[in-house]
Amino acid sequence: MANQELTPREKQELTRDEQTRPGRTYVPDVDIYETTDSLWLWADMPGVDEHSLEVNVADGVLSIAGWVALQDYDNLTPVYTEYNVGNYARRFTLSNEIEAERIKARMTNGVLELELPKAERTKPRQISVAAS
Amino acid sequence: MALFRFSPTLDPINALLNLQRELERVVDNPLGLDLGLSGRGVSPAVNVFSDRDGYMVRTEVPGMSPEQINIESHGRTLTISGKRESGAPQGGSFHRRERSSGQFSRSLQLPADLDLSRAEASYKQGMLTVRIPKREEAKPRQITIKAA
Repeated sequence: MANQELTPREKQELTRDEQTRPGRTYVPDVDIYETTDSLWLWADMPGVDEHSLEVNVADGVLSIAGWVALQDYDNLTPVYTEYNVGNYARRFTLSNEIEAERIKARMTNGVLELELPKAERTKPRQISVAAS
Repeated sequence: MALFRFSPTLDPINALLNLQRELERVVDNPLGLDLGLSGRGVSPAVNVFSDRDGYMVRTEVPGMSPEQINIESHGRTLTISGKRESGAPQGGSFHRRERSSGQFSRSLQLPADLDLSRAEASYKQGMLTVRIPKREEAKPRQITIKAA
């Protein structure tokens, strides 16, 4: 794994939901990791800063969206292009109950990190069996 | 690792790409910003732009620190390389692993009128931008008319 060369992947365009904002929308690549206390999510959203981001949990659905600043590209003429630039959006149905008010979100170098703490009552519990 | 050459004016492939770009611009690009085709088989994908002062090479390598990215120039060739690590807290398991990790390297051969010795790079929000200015003599210049 460590010395593996990266293979490029084309950005996947989001076609499912129609957006109200103009521009293309792509599906960000994510890693999802679960520990006993929390669900962790990392999403690659290059070009998105912490102010142009939306994270929502409602009715067991987590939605993330990020908008890129296109004014960076003003006055520039494309000479050669290999990838598209656009906004990001993705939704997940959560299998655990999440304590929405304790969600932590952090945006570092184009990667969104989310820590979604599981609700107390959905955590696995050890039940001790009493000898009779 | 692959070397890609371009000469923006005379390359037939580039002319084709430009044509496709124009078509896409007309057909489905409401913003008029075209960053057209993607995925030509090498990682990381790059976009190259130009303005009056020179070229801008941009690539998306999110989640790295500037020290992990290596940018070198050799003659007219610009090479961007690095290694993307993936880390996770202990004691759990992955449900999804889509974000790629590993090594990448990419070389571009730039037009001769660019001055690679004055190139500058910045890394912001996961985007690496390398600006390469044109040589002074290649810049457009205003010529004033002397009064007779």
